[in-house]
Amino acid sequence: MTLLKLLTWPYVRKHLLRTWLTVAGIALGVVVFAGMHTANDTVLYGFQKTVDRIAGKAQLEVSSGETGFPEEVLEKVQALAEVDVAVPVIEATVSAGRQGNLLLLAVDMTGDRSLREYDFEEGEEAVLEDPLVFLAQPDSLIVTRDFAARNNLAAGGKLALDTMEGRRHFTVRGIMKPGGLASAFGGSLAVMDIYAAQKVLGRGRRFDRIDLTVKPGVPVDQGRAAIQKALGSGYQVERPASRGKQFESIARIFAIGATLNGMFALLIGLFIIYNTFSVAVAQRRSEIGVLRALGATQGQIRRLFLLESAVLGLAGSGLGILLGLLMARAMAGYLSDYFGEVYGIAQRTEAVAADPALLAFSVLAGVLASMLAAWIPARQAAQVDPVRALHKSAHETFSSRESRMRLAWAAIFLAVALAMVAAGGHTGLRLYVGYLSVVIAAVLLTPAMVRALIRVLRSVLQAILPVEGALAADSLLQSPRRTSATVAAVMLSLSLVVGLGGISAASYDSIFEWMSNVLNPDLFVGTSEQIAERSYRFPPALGETIRQMDFVDQVQMVRTVRVLYRQTPVMLVATDLKSLSERVRPKVVAGDARTMFVEAAQGKGVVLADNLALMQRLKLGDVIEIPSPGGVLRLAVLGITIDYSDQAGAVLMDRSLFLRNWNDDSVNLFRVYLKRGVKPEEARQRILERLGPHSRLFVMTNQELRKYVMKVTDQWFGLTYLQIFVAVLIAILGIVNSLTVSITDRRRELGVLRAVGGLRRQVRQAVWMEAAGIGAVSIVLGLALGAVVLYYYLGVVGGDLVGIRLEYRYPAGMALLLVPTMLLVALIAALGPAEAAVRASLVEALEYE
Amino acid sequence: MEVEPLLSLAGVMIQLQQVSKVFDGKRQVTALDHVSLSVSKGEMVAITGPSGSGKSTLLNLIGGLDKPTSGEILLDGESLSQVSDDELTRVRRDKIGFIFQFFNLLPALTCLENVVLPLHLRGWPRKKIDERARELLELVELSHRLDHLPEELSGGERQRVAIARALSIYPPVLLADEPTGNLDSQTGAEILKLIQRLNERLNSTVLVVTHDMGVSGTCTRTIRLRDGRIVEDARR
Repeated sequence: MTLLKLLTWPYVRKHLLRTWLTVAGIALGVVVFAGMHTANDTVLYGFQKTVDRIAGKAQLEVSSGETGFPEEVLEKVQALAEVDVAVPVIEATVSAGRQGNLLLLAVDMTGDRSLREYDFEEGEEAVLEDPLVFLAQPDSLIVTRDFAARNNLAAGGKLALDTMEGRRHFTVRGIMKPGGLASAFGGSLAVMDIYAAQKVLGRGRRFDRIDLTVKPGVPVDQGRAAIQKALGSGYQVERPASRGKQFESIARIFAIGATLNGMFALLIGLFIIYNTFSVAVAQRRSEIGVLRALGATQGQIRRLFLLESAVLGLAGSGLGILLGLLMARAMAGYLSDYFGEVYGIAQRTEAVAADPALLAFSVLAGVLASMLAAWIPARQAAQVDPVRALHKSAHETFSSRESRMRLAWAAIFLAVALAMVAAGGHTGLRLYVGYLSVVIAAVLLTPAMVRALIRVLRSVLQAILPVEGALAADSLLQSPRRTSATVAAVMLSLSLVVGLGGISAASYDSIFEWMSNVLNPDLFVGTSEQIAERSYRFPPALGETIRQMDFVDQVQMVRTVRVLYRQTPVMLVATDLKSLSERVRPKVVAGDARTMFVEAAQGKGVVLADNLALMQRLKLGDVIEIPSPGGVLRLAVLGITIDYSDQAGAVLMDRSLFLRNWNDDSVNLFRVYLKRGVKPEEARQRILERLGPHSRLFVMTNQELRKYVMKVTDQWFGLTYLQIFVAVLIAILGIVNSLTVSITDRRRELGVLRAVGGLRRQVRQAVWMEAAGIGAVSIVLGLALGAVVLYYYLGVVGGDLVGIRLEYRYPAGMALLLVPTMLLVALIAALGPAEAAVRASLVEALEYE
Repeated sequence: MEVEPLLSLAGVMIQLQQVSKVFDGKRQVTALDHVSLSVSKGEMVAITGPSGSGKSTLLNLIGGLDKPTSGEILLDGESLSQVSDDELTRVRRDKIGFIFQFFNLLPALTCLENVVLPLHLRGWPRKKIDERARELLELVELSHRLDHLPEELSGGERQRVAIARALSIYPPVLLADEPTGNLDSQTGAEILKLIQRLNERLNSTVLVVTHDMGVSGTCTRTIRLRDGRIVEDARR
């Protein structure tokens, strides 16, 4: 510790910028890891909080996927000996216009008060004392004080809500005090009578859920078993908390992405630390030599550098956590909207939910990464020969033995990667081992490849500017450790960009193809501008009304519901498959395209989306079990097609089969084909004129739906662009770090250059060319590694993450764009160091030792 | 009476008028204190004095590596005090050659490349550069070491390369800061002879900062500094 204070502190103070860059290298990794995970946790926590607050005293919840169930089920549950109180619930997110979204909790006030506490502070006394008065007036609404205050509402005030019969005004008949139930969904909660809600939301005589408590003395699990037995396996009887688990499984993709990106960012940060410490050791060799001569042991020297790295790692992690929490705050809102839009999940983020264990792990990962990166330089420092300590060049180059060892190890790792590919390693552990081997081999090969490329580049740079070009190239060749570490960091960043870019390009291609094949109706009539929103439902008669319009050729009724398959919520899409098969040409992955829809239309089985099949390891002929209110359905997989209806995967079922088993004829979406020559815009106008005043409906043209799908896709890839941004940031950091080190290292050289007549412009240009050299070599290696990495990313995306089978297509456009971008980034990164080089005192530079 | 100073000014290469240099740090250090001096064309001057007397500071100011706190420096009639950094660099590249104690060769460049560096910086054509470089290396007797890197040369050879580089444009002024300070006595004597020969042959004005009395003995004039002031100015 004393050594640290005596020796390290003055060095750190002298090289403050470099210290900051090093800290930033670690901080960036921690920011990405902690930030993304905390954002995810925050959304999850927000959801769980809403579930808990709404659950009140309920010990168990009965549901049947998202479809709900007939009212009679309630009586069946209430009649059970184990059940104490059982009340029906409908829960939906509704639009209150400018007031934003409201979570509508529809309950039966007569019984609900024994489960949930409605702590009123204001309202019509008769309503508050007698729930029957509330019931007798179907326009009644109870809101929270928070919502009322935000929207200037008082008891007796009116609030407009979208209903299936268009926009209707409701009367606020009670205002709840803050806390408990009133703070669910961030306070944007309204309570309504359940029978009124059935009408408002077009639910028919169905409930979403039953909340219940078991009789005193009956163990909850015993009650659960009894209810499950009475209702059959088509129903889920769970504790309220288990809804969080389902949400977690949906948010899984994001959590995995967060881990992978955080680790990758940390890996790249590792090179920045390695670089800094390598140079620090080289620069402090004489100091180390003196220490060794004074009796310091090798262990003491090694510990000094490792301790230094641990302190920097701790500082970087601390900074990373702070920035990560800020990032999480910004990102949670974005994620929350995304989950709402894509999955139709009601949640509202509140305060940032920072998990202490996650934060502790982030700090530990940051410190360990920093120490790992400093390990080799620390070992080199310990091995400094006191007598030769003043000869610096030896430690900035690789010995021929070290070079040979690197090549040998690279060959071994490449062999491992090839073996994994040969063993069919496009999924699972083999994929990850292969990927890791390729990355390690690339890093090991970097010095050799950098040397070869810089030699080629030297003549190019010299042709542009003879002296500056040669100086720049020689500076890079002279310090292969520094150059290689920087190039490796930038190369890895670029390979990440190419890999993600490749995934993004292939995904867009694939989604376009799917839209052309499957999303071909002229109009889509839905209950909301968000297709995934399933709170409102149409009666089937509306479809018939549309079909009878003289400009309509065909109407396909679609019902989408989330059901549990192997504890994962997947999307069940029920529609008239015979009619669908005549209109769409999905890309078939397995099965007979001619027969699969015909057989599925006969109720013989289902057609699966490829992503579901990949993620759940399902193949043609397998039997899948889907819970329905009529019991568990065992359905054969008749075909597998490319389908992007849902990220968690979709099961395509005939509507007749759905009606039989769910006894639910409501509709989420009408796919409308128009007669030849009818303009979609005109048809939309006529549908809205005819049905709009009486029913809540949104009509989208084919173009608009495609735009919507692309918007959602963009939202998803928005996270990818964030990753690309981080990768470019790391590249900048790496280059700035390397050049700062280079400038400090070559102070005397640059001083000589100016002393013998080099103009400031020329010195600047030499530094710029050095940066351009790093940029150019990194681009070549990064784009090449990216081509390989893309293969592995496709495997990860296809097999483990979202189950999307994408074609390999190198993102040539993006690669071409990266060339000028990275050269520009390199030049921008060089601006500061170049100015430092020309502004340094010449006299000091020439005296510098 | 008025003609003589003009005549003598016409032969002056370096002129310092009341030049001071103060370094600001935790405490102010006056490295040069109102120094006035003139050096004629073709003179070979030794600047001596104990450590900290201001020798190197004086050389840095004359060479345009640093600027005085006050006073005026004229080099070949051109003021160095009020010019921009790039103008100062142009003066250096056209009129001054530097020889350093630690040679200051660029380690990644060969002897030839080190020597031609200033010529490239001036944008000379390649052919002319090659001719001049070979001529210079012949002058310092290193024609056989063209493609060697500095680390492959002895100390004396390195200093010869540094001298060749300093002479690349045959500058009218040659500034040497302890040119023999890092060499053994025999090699040091050879280097000194070489500088002397060049002074005679090229008629350059040479200023040599040295501790070595032997070195000052070979010069035509010796200026001794103490505490930033000239305490002796003797011609032989």
